[in-house]
Amino acid sequence: MKVKIGLEIHVQLLTKSKLFCSCSTNYENKEPNENTCPICLGFPGSKPKVNKKALDFGIMVALALNCKIAEKTFFSRKSYFYPDMSKNYQITQYEIPLAKNGFLEIGKKKIRIRRVHLEEDPAKLIHVGKDITSAQHVLIDYNRSGIPLVEIVTEPDFENPREVREFLEKLSSILEHLEVYDSSKEGSMRIDVNISLEGGERVEIKNISGFKRIEKALMYEIVRQENLRRLGLKVKRETRHFDERSGLTFSLRKKEVEEDYGYIFDTDLPVVEISKGWVNSLAKSMPELPHKRVERFVEEFNLPKERAKVLVYTDKQLADFFEKCAEVYKNYERLSKWIVTDLLKCLNWHGIRINQSKVKVESFAELLKLIDEGEITERLAKEIIKEYVNTGKSPSKIIEEKGLRLIRDEKEIEKVIKIVLAENRKAVKDYRKGERKALNFLIGKVLQKTNKRIDPKVIRKIIKKALNEDCTKKPR
Amino acid sequence: MLIEPVSIHAQKIREGKIELGNFFSKILREIKRIQEEYNPFITIVEKSRIENEKGKLAGIIVSVKDNICTEGIRTTAGSLILQNYIPPFDATVVERVKKEGGVIIGKTCMDEFGFGTFSVNCAYGIPKNPYDKERSCGGSSGGAACIAALADFPHIAIAESTGGSISCPAAFCGVVGITPTYGRVSRWGLIDYANSLDKIGVIGKCVEDVALGLSIIGGYDEKDSTSLNIPEEDFMRYLNENIEKVKIAIPKEYFENVDDEIKERVWDGIKKLEGEGAVYEEVSLPTTKYVIPTYYIIAVSEASTNLAKFCGIRYGLHLPLEGNFNEYFSKVRSEGFGKEAKRRIILGTYARMAGFRDAYYLRAMKVRTKIISDFKKVFKKFDVIISPTMPVLPPKFDEIEKLKPIEVYMMDILTVGPNLAGIPMISVPCGFVKGLPVGMHIMADHLEEKKCLKVAYAFEKVKK
Repeated sequence: MKVKIGLEIHVQLLTKSKLFCSCSTNYENKEPNENTCPICLGFPGSKPKVNKKALDFGIMVALALNCKIAEKTFFSRKSYFYPDMSKNYQITQYEIPLAKNGFLEIGKKKIRIRRVHLEEDPAKLIHVGKDITSAQHVLIDYNRSGIPLVEIVTEPDFENPREVREFLEKLSSILEHLEVYDSSKEGSMRIDVNISLEGGERVEIKNISGFKRIEKALMYEIVRQENLRRLGLKVKRETRHFDERSGLTFSLRKKEVEEDYGYIFDTDLPVVEISKGWVNSLAKSMPELPHKRVERFVEEFNLPKERAKVLVYTDKQLADFFEKCAEVYKNYERLSKWIVTDLLKCLNWHGIRINQSKVKVESFAELLKLIDEGEITERLAKEIIKEYVNTGKSPSKIIEEKGLRLIRDEKEIEKVIKIVLAENRKAVKDYRKGERKALNFLIGKVLQKTNKRIDPKVIRKIIKKALNEDCTKKPR
Repeated sequence: MLIEPVSIHAQKIREGKIELGNFFSKILREIKRIQEEYNPFITIVEKSRIENEKGKLAGIIVSVKDNICTEGIRTTAGSLILQNYIPPFDATVVERVKKEGGVIIGKTCMDEFGFGTFSVNCAYGIPKNPYDKERSCGGSSGGAACIAALADFPHIAIAESTGGSISCPAAFCGVVGITPTYGRVSRWGLIDYANSLDKIGVIGKCVEDVALGLSIIGGYDEKDSTSLNIPEEDFMRYLNENIEKVKIAIPKEYFENVDDEIKERVWDGIKKLEGEGAVYEEVSLPTTKYVIPTYYIIAVSEASTNLAKFCGIRYGLHLPLEGNFNEYFSKVRSEGFGKEAKRRIILGTYARMAGFRDAYYLRAMKVRTKIISDFKKVFKKFDVIISPTMPVLPPKFDEIEKLKPIEVYMMDILTVGPNLAGIPMISVPCGFVKGLPVGMHIMADHLEEKKCLKVAYAFEKVKK
């Protein structure tokens, strides 16, 4: 059955202050309700004042999404009563948004962007108890109230959950490259999804954080709707909530009619005139967008396009790390390969981003240099990376402590090989009989004995020689 | 009664000629006596302080309408829903008054949130007209005009107008009230009625007093995004300007449906101005018939959003936490809001609803621009517009009770037009009818307070 999906994405902008007051946007280490003022608390007599940086960021996002920027824009009041609304209306944009009619391509497909606008974040509700349905009471933390959000609304152009995830990954990369968003901040991107099966009613799933959850939620919802269809039942038009633990969506409230928000202009705030000069100066000073960065990586560092894409789109911080390392380590092929394979694997295993890890440019480059110089094997390096990411100890320190330097002295290697051959007579016999596997077995034993401190290629060369010599010594 | 401008008193204070301690305690006694009889105050400040004995308002007693925030002093906006609210910050106008040595003596009675024309919608008692205790002071700044009229100590009142709430009580109490150009005075700290219409102004005994007051409270404030970034003006310097050849427009629509005797007094006034060299001509403001619905639709729409914040969560009236959020806040609002507040919230919500929004709210916004252009057209040729301030004499309380809401709204017919346009206006006393004061309304183009003031000042002089 054909599926139609549309997204409403709310992104917290990395301005220093909130959208309408000078409270900080960084409240991580603050007590609840400590990061507030009369404006974001909605005290009588207080008035909002627009943060110009937020407008700058909004315009940059709109430009990156190929939108048409409004010449004049203004703010509206979206009126509804809810405990997280300090004024019981949200200052947002309704009639004339900041920008509209853009697009973002995923592969060959163009996803149309209906509008991009600014609005303020409501307060955070903490449901005391298990979750939204079973909580006995709710606590309100206004630290988040007034944080600037950019809202991006797409047309219902998505046809499956995979496209949604690809889109969001690409969008996330663009926003990080614009330096207006930090994906490691909790709740910094929240998504409402509208989904319907062909000819059926639209269901809204609200407030999903994170890409993995979106795919899960959508897959469950599609199955749920398909099942209803199969049973001959109608899909109700409603708002649902996604519970991450169970992987299910469940009904929050019936969405029979569009909620009536009674929009009026916010006459505390003047009309914002967006001149061509303003837009142009932002466009000129905009940070490099990911697709341009990929092109540059291919050009400047001679990377294969696919690898450049992975480097850039997986995580901006990773691409930044690559560039910094590239200043001191010039084997770009090896550098990029190690970053997108082993390093990334370790980071993912720990569930952290590179900036949250203890990995440093100098020591990482050093590790790669050691491989180049033959001091350690690639295999060993893989082991070392794990410990490096884990503890932050520099690779050379790890090598010291664990005595992991490669044994290169041929005489030493011969000695070890002799011992291994003596300890594994059956395998030697098998080798003589012609079993190739026995050779690998013996090499493995040597590696084991020396803690992998010999280059397998060298082992193979020397052990073959030793076996042949051994051959000539027939037992009496 | 000889009226001495408050500036003379301020000068004496600056020169150290007045013993402050005695002075304040005497005034407090006087205020309490007036309060007993006429009830102009919601809150009286027992311990007043003067912060600057060299300031331009040094030692002048200042009353503040209770919808303007005063730090540490209860501010209710005339409503039960803010009955114990103590603001954590001063409104900008209050800061400016204090900085110049003005002494805040109390918060004056008003129709709840500004909703009214007679100050009868005040949850803390109704102020009585100084000329007849059975009659209204006007509204919504009724308390301010009342104390301004009765004070026999140097005093000015900081008041506020959305649709005429400075002019109306000034006229009904026989005092002077100036409403400045929208944006001239910062609204930071003003509890909103309608953000595109609210203006803070001054009520006092004479033109010079309100000119002084306005000079102090006016000026750009970056905390208010609608505050005009223009140089501050000293309005006192325009007072003595010659009014010869000043062109006065008389809008014929503003003389329809007005008490005959009121019209007579106003015409007397106009003739006196003619005697001083001004010239007048009849004009038409054809959009006058739309001003009431336009004003009320815009004002209540904005008000219904402004009042949404009062839900018993962070400040103001709160009740035992029972039920869910919807049940709780509905209870708080039912108990805390008066009838007129509820009426306007419902009307305002209705006018904004999908399906009605185009016909009401958006339509009213369009008509407003037409009303403004009517005024602008007149001001191309004329310096000021003059009309009666109110169509009737101050009514009796029992008459008011019999009025239907729409009849009450129609009382604002002469003041909502200029208020919608955001132009400056001043109401000056121009005589009595049956012992009750009558006001003459002088309006000028945006930012031309100086024209209102010089005409008003000249009139005041010649009236004597």
